[in-house]
Amino acid sequence: MAMTCKEVWKEISDYIDNSVTPDVRRELELHLAYCRHCAAMVDGIHNIIVLVADERTFALPVGFDSRLRARLKDKLRFYSS
Amino acid sequence: MSTTSFMNAGERIVDETTILIRRILAGESELYYKLISPYQRVVYVCALSLLHNEAEAEDCAQDAFLKAYENLAEFKGESKFSSWLIRIALNEAKMRIRKLRPEKYESLDKAVDLNDGEYMPQTLGDWREIPSEALERKEVRMVIENAVKTLPKIYREVFILRDVQNLNVAAAAEILGVSEGVIKTRLLRARMQMRDLLAPAIKNSRVFSRPGFKKGTNPWL
Repeated sequence: MAMTCKEVWKEISDYIDNSVTPDVRRELELHLAYCRHCAAMVDGIHNIIVLVADERTFALPVGFDSRLRARLKDKLRFYSS
Repeated sequence: MSTTSFMNAGERIVDETTILIRRILAGESELYYKLISPYQRVVYVCALSLLHNEAEAEDCAQDAFLKAYENLAEFKGESKFSSWLIRIALNEAKMRIRKLRPEKYESLDKAVDLNDGEYMPQTLGDWREIPSEALERKEVRMVIENAVKTLPKIYREVFILRDVQNLNVAAAAEILGVSEGVIKTRLLRARMQMRDLLAPAIKNSRVFSRPGFKKGTNPWL
């Protein structure tokens, strides 16, 4: 029996992570072939993952590295003395 | 950091991280920056995900790195070094919240897992292109970061570890002390909520009302 939209939603995340069984994958892709809403949801979640994984998102503040180095240098000298 | 491994004389696989830690513990403290440098972003973002303030998150991240240095001898290699470091950062952030904003800490503790409830995604128009070039615009990055902040804490921490930091499900489960099944359930909710929050904001998609949607039909056409 074909998967319903609700059944697809439950599997979407695992499907994107490539961790569904071959049977579920086949059923899900059959559904996606005709359900534009669910197909757009898969694309949308995939886009979100691409966007947030990009290092420009949640980039370190400017100067973070040099301030960290300075603090480590200061403290590690203290620890080793 | 490279995970290159090799066989030593004792036929045990020793990775670069383990070697660095041994050398630091033996007195080469100047190597500590090399050890933690690849984890600057993950530690900072984990702190930011709880503290919501860049300056405070940076201070918290620095404290977490120093705490990790002080306790380096306690790292036994039973988990990944990154997981151990992230746990220290999350604990440090929670300690700060408890100290500075106890009322906020209460709400973190009482966070309810909504596993049993059903999340109904919004019915949105297509968003098929991957708009990575959109990230050149600061306002787009801000929209994404603010959307993450609006996620409930239990979803936010999973989303940060799994999708922002690209840790696998097992590592996220180990860090947060929950099962892999719980991680997957929370991740699904987090991703759906993020998609619902961001698709209209970034693409200016039309948002369709749920009552008009019926299984097997395409009301958005």
